[in-house]
Amino acid sequence: MLLFRGPHWDKGLSTDELQKTMDNVMAWFNGLNHRGKVKSAQPLGAQGRTISGANGRFVVDGPFTETKEAVGGYLMLQADSFEEAVEVARTNPVLRYGVSVEVRPILAECPIFARHPEIVRRAKEPAVSAEQLYATIAA
Amino acid sequence: MSTTSTVKSDYLLLFRGNVWDRGLSPAQIQKVVSDWMAWFEGLKAEGKCLGGHPLEEHGKVVSGRQRTVADGPFAESKEAIGGYFYLTVADENEAIEIAKQCPGLEYGSVVEVRPVADVCSMRQRAEEYSTRQFAEATA
Repeated sequence: MLLFRGPHWDKGLSTDELQKTMDNVMAWFNGLNHRGKVKSAQPLGAQGRTISGANGRFVVDGPFTETKEAVGGYLMLQADSFEEAVEVARTNPVLRYGVSVEVRPILAECPIFARHPEIVRRAKEPAVSAEQLYATIAA
Repeated sequence: MSTTSTVKSDYLLLFRGNVWDRGLSPAQIQKVVSDWMAWFEGLKAEGKCLGGHPLEEHGKVVSGRQRTVADGPFAESKEAIGGYFYLTVADENEAIEIAKQCPGLEYGSVVEVRPVADVCSMRQRAEEYSTRQFAEATA
């Protein structure tokens, strides 16, 4: 997954420069899409809320997209390797304007299971069928 | 700020604070993990969650004109994103109510709720900008 941070890269650019960069971005994206590399991609709206605390008792506005760290969008890449994903990220046309791209492998399973091998993967276990249950009771 | 995306029904939940398991007993961790999976499966069954994934703890950050590749983010940092859910709900309030049910909140998880935008805000800004310039030029 590519996470794009720093959504206000357009500040201070001229209309021409902005238009040219947007065209480059669209060409970059269309090229990836054409090669079957894009599983999904969405920009995120500037508004948002951040929820924290037990039972979500703190709900605050934010993140503030003015910050360089705010995520402005994502692209789920169908890459053959992590290296390929990093290389794709390096071709992003807005890096030169201060956007940074975080490249993170998507996991099928939560890393908590690697940290705590004693934890049971309950949802992964197949449900006991009626036949199995019957056989267990009969035995 | 654009207001068009507030009527959208798609939201991304970004989970931060992924070291919530520190200092918890195996039984407590097991409970959080089981609750989290049940929460996810429940939302999927209700059709409110289209998908979600954990992200591997380590990744790379690409930035700058030189397209520098650095290690990161640091999973220990409270701000690192550990995974996401993609929600399709009635409105922002429903997305917030769902976020409040996150079983990790009690142990330091933070959930960011972000509307998924139709049009890239950058493109929208560029379009608004050129429309305004056009209007000014033809006034």
